[in-house]
Amino acid sequence: MDKSLFLVHVKLLAFDLLSLAQSPTNPPTFSLDHRFSISRAEALGVVVSREHKPGRFLKFAVDDGTGCVPCVLWLNHATSPYFARQRPQGVRQIAEVANGQASLVKLGSVARVRGRITSYRGEVQITVSRVVVERDPNAEVLHWLDCLKLARRVYGKPTTMRNTLHGLCPMDKMT
Amino acid sequence: MASSGSAVESGAPVSLKDLRPPSPLFADGASLRVLGKLQEYSVETTVAIIVDRDASLKIDTQHLRDLSFRVGSIYQFIGELRIQPDNEALLQARVGRNVDGLDLDLYHQSLQLVRQFQVERTRYRST
Repeated sequence: MDKSLFLVHVKLLAFDLLSLAQSPTNPPTFSLDHRFSISRAEALGVVVSREHKPGRFLKFAVDDGTGCVPCVLWLNHATSPYFARQRPQGVRQIAEVANGQASLVKLGSVARVRGRITSYRGEVQITVSRVVVERDPNAEVLHWLDCLKLARRVYGKPTTMRNTLHGLCPMDKMT
Repeated sequence: MASSGSAVESGAPVSLKDLRPPSPLFADGASLRVLGKLQEYSVETTVAIIVDRDASLKIDTQHLRDLSFRVGSIYQFIGELRIQPDNEALLQARVGRNVDGLDLDLYHQSLQLVRQFQVERTRYRST
């Protein structure tokens, strides 16, 4: 399996993301076309559902016209054993950022989401590390075209050719 | 504040001119995404009418909050189609947004490319 995309936030349309192959391992790993092992994704779409449990999580779904991507943004920094081992000041800052992002996600807004690809009850979802709300009304169309271009020119190419082409692709707008 | 977090149907993008029989999308309960210029909005009935060239569609906006309606602006709605007894269609909107500034030609052309890509990918995966 080609691992050259493993640490990349792969831009995928929802219908492609939701049909990623999952391994039966725990935790599962994901592959694109049974060729590329991937762990992170970027999706963009209209927020069509929102379930907020303060101090626990924000679950929402983004619809890009090809499917709905379930997303979860964890807000359990105060109670998670993972964060209990880290510096309290750092955890507070992370929690503030996460809560700030959660407050931006509203029904009908267009959200660009980055995060780890995970599985919940067998369904693919994104465990969100970053979410931004897009103001440009053309953002969704440009995302569609980015996904098409990357699928044809980058993700479908052998590693050596992809390395040459990667500089042409706007993968890091959010960083 | 909160709304359903359970799985929701994706709204299939459709042009208003294609939203008529015998299109498979012209079906009661179909989840759709539509786009058009606001021609009318009634505060009493919360029904809006959007137009795209010579096609129009009624939108039931009763579930939408925090969205202001301005005649002449472009709006996008996602929701479920209801076919009335007189065979007239009404979209029961779940979400809506103002998309003034959207390049409509680019939108429609890109949508064609996305559909073509979906067909190619589906064919590729099935081989």
